[in-house]
Amino acid sequence: MKWARIAVAYLICAMCARSQPQWRESPGYRAYQRGNTLFIAKKFPESEAAIDEALRLDPKLVPALTLKAKLAMASNRFDMARGSLEQALAVDPNSGYAEFLYGMEAYVTSDLRLALPRFEKARQLSPADPRVALYLGFTSEALGHTDKAMSYYEEAVRLEQSASAPQAATFLAGSRLLLLMGRQEDCGRWIAQALKVEPGSRDGHFELARLLLIKGEAAKAVREGETALVLHGGDATDAQIHYLLIRAYRDSGSPAQATRHADILRLLDAKAPR
Amino acid sequence: MGLPLRLVTLGLLVASCAGTMPEPAIRFEEIARKAGLNFELRNGAKGQFNQIELMGGGVAVLDYNNDGCMDIFFTNGAEIPSLRKTGPEFHNRLFRNNCDMTFTDVTEEAGLAGEGYSMAVAAADFDNDGFTDIFVAGVHRNFLYRNLGNGHFADITQKAGLGGSRLGNPWSISAGWIDYDNDGWLDLFISNYVVWDAANELRCGTPEQQFYCHPDVYTGLPGQLLHNNRDGTFTDVSRQSGIGRYVGKGMGVAFADIDGDGFTDIFVANDSSRNFLFHNQGNGTFREIALEAGVALRDDGKAIAGMGADLRDFDNDGRPDLVESGMINDSFQLFRNLGPGRGFADYGLRTGLLLATRQLTGWGLGIYDFDNDGWKDIFFALAHFTELGKFIGRDSALPNRVFRNVDGTRFEDVSAGAGPAFQLAGLHRGVAFADFDNDGRMDAVVTQLNGPAKLFHNVTAGGAHWLAVQLHGTRSNRQGLGATVHVRLADGRDLYNHATTAVGYGSSSEPLVRFGLGVNRKAEKLEIRWPGGATQEIADVAADRIVQVTEETKR
Repeated sequence: MKWARIAVAYLICAMCARSQPQWRESPGYRAYQRGNTLFIAKKFPESEAAIDEALRLDPKLVPALTLKAKLAMASNRFDMARGSLEQALAVDPNSGYAEFLYGMEAYVTSDLRLALPRFEKARQLSPADPRVALYLGFTSEALGHTDKAMSYYEEAVRLEQSASAPQAATFLAGSRLLLLMGRQEDCGRWIAQALKVEPGSRDGHFELARLLLIKGEAAKAVREGETALVLHGGDATDAQIHYLLIRAYRDSGSPAQATRHADILRLLDAKAPR
Repeated sequence: MGLPLRLVTLGLLVASCAGTMPEPAIRFEEIARKAGLNFELRNGAKGQFNQIELMGGGVAVLDYNNDGCMDIFFTNGAEIPSLRKTGPEFHNRLFRNNCDMTFTDVTEEAGLAGEGYSMAVAAADFDNDGFTDIFVAGVHRNFLYRNLGNGHFADITQKAGLGGSRLGNPWSISAGWIDYDNDGWLDLFISNYVVWDAANELRCGTPEQQFYCHPDVYTGLPGQLLHNNRDGTFTDVSRQSGIGRYVGKGMGVAFADIDGDGFTDIFVANDSSRNFLFHNQGNGTFREIALEAGVALRDDGKAIAGMGADLRDFDNDGRPDLVESGMINDSFQLFRNLGPGRGFADYGLRTGLLLATRQLTGWGLGIYDFDNDGWKDIFFALAHFTELGKFIGRDSALPNRVFRNVDGTRFEDVSAGAGPAFQLAGLHRGVAFADFDNDGRMDAVVTQLNGPAKLFHNVTAGGAHWLAVQLHGTRSNRQGLGATVHVRLADGRDLYNHATTAVGYGSSSEPLVRFGLGVNRKAEKLEIRWPGGATQEIADVAADRIVQVTEETKR
């Protein structure tokens, strides 16, 4: 069920729903706007209070219902999230965004069986939304539909590019799968695209280091790994990068450096809660 | 036309055979029922989602009566929460091989029905009396049964000093016999899982959809090393050996001398935390080197839900490699041993095992040459976690898989051709390996949760030659566990294997050291390196038999 855990982070920091004009006339809209601003500022309790206010004024305000669901998911209250989304979809069955979040609710609770059809429906409703294609890719990959997953990643990239908003994370999702499929040259191209979009991507340099290590280019892997280690953000943890550097230094004939990174990793491990 | 037509035709036929003859498919028949092997593993589950229900299912193969035919011992669960074997459905079981591929349940006369919630078994002759003994690991209680040599076993747990430890009574999940100090007496390594008790079981999920908690929410435990005092008792040396310093969520264990220094090393697969590789420093202490060796984690630095493990040489370079099973979307790991000081390299991707196992959840496993072509294959006992099926829209039960080793470069999933019964899904757990009918082809016995055990009789065609080595230690431990064996073939190939009964997950396999010889009718040379480094050579060993090798007393 590990695949689900990464998704919560995406939920919190990413993607605000684009409010449809019809909701602007709602008596709860201003409270919703306030709640959304507070959500982006990660002031979750204050945001929740504002959303409750919005829904008290208009219980059918779909943007408020979807925001409430996101807040609930961010705090692991998945029952509440599901309820809010089902309400939202009852009011507006054509809300691609609500349907996408409904898929997310299933995805982050590891229910891939439910997530897949919800994402597929969201894709029908919002065919230009790259996030939906990306999560269809994640879900398909987790279910073992490798080729299908790759085509969704390609679609997500296409949609992002056509909206002039390419994302490094999307290229890297594809690159990881390409690496697993043994398509090292393609993997390298996708990582290069990610680093072109975001040259300071910690994940991008980490993935490049992985690829180089697998290709036997240990010295280059060391360089990329060390670069990743000093960068911030992304999903790759310090522990993951140290583990890569242990092997890269070892393979490039620097056992002392390998030992140094092993010692650091053991220290990190000792500090981690068990 | 200078050549007679007859000769041309013959030549074409021969060329055709040499060039395109397909390798015989690895094939099994499932014969448990026919063989009288009637055992069902019961986990005592009553809808309460107790973590212990997921595990268990260890099985051992041993020749307890020294008749030359391998017998089978199954561990079994118990009632929860009492953890008592409240009825015969929870008894552990010993089945005697009647040497005609049928088995007789001799549990009662052997005195092995057992107590408590049993998980795993390790079989070996710990007291060097010539009879294989049985250690049963379980939830809060472990047992050591001494084989009295007359068909009966005696529970000597308390007398041996194994009735408890400074850890209290942990949940032990695997164990293995290892002579870590080469003193000629087998010591005991125990892999412990997590702190658990029925009264305080954690609840996960929602009231309407409860499920088993992730291992992350439980506190891990260190393993234990118990030194054999040569008098039927053991001393816990976990602390002084360094083993006890490392807290994990131990699952399967595997033993091999990874660097050829004459001392057996220990690998522990950990569930959702990094694995341990304990390098035996030859002075009674171990150094944990999984990180440096590159076997601690997956290639991307993430821990897998490590389950079973086996350390054997898949590419015939003389160095034991490592295979570890995991959970769906982990991929099973294959680490190639690069030699002393160079660690291991991740070979899962380039051998095809990584992608082929990504959708599988594996428990027991074994690296054996099932088609005797000289390249060791891999057998995986499979099943997703119970209840996981609901989340992925598929059944939790899975058929087992066998991967054929193609020239030491890649693994090919040949399960589809392994026979109709091999395709049947089950909640498989432990697997132990032996040649039950002494025909030279490796068979497998597999347990399944709340279902009948399976006995996969290897019926692979092709008539490839084989050799098995039964070691008799004199200075070394009686079964020669820890010895490495090197076979040189006339076709120039060198094959390597070693003696261990610790294979896979919670299970124990036959102690014989086996080789597939392919078309070779003999081994030009058989070289045994006994624990401690003494070597012994035998020239021109005919194939298709079990060779008895007794350790020479002089160095």
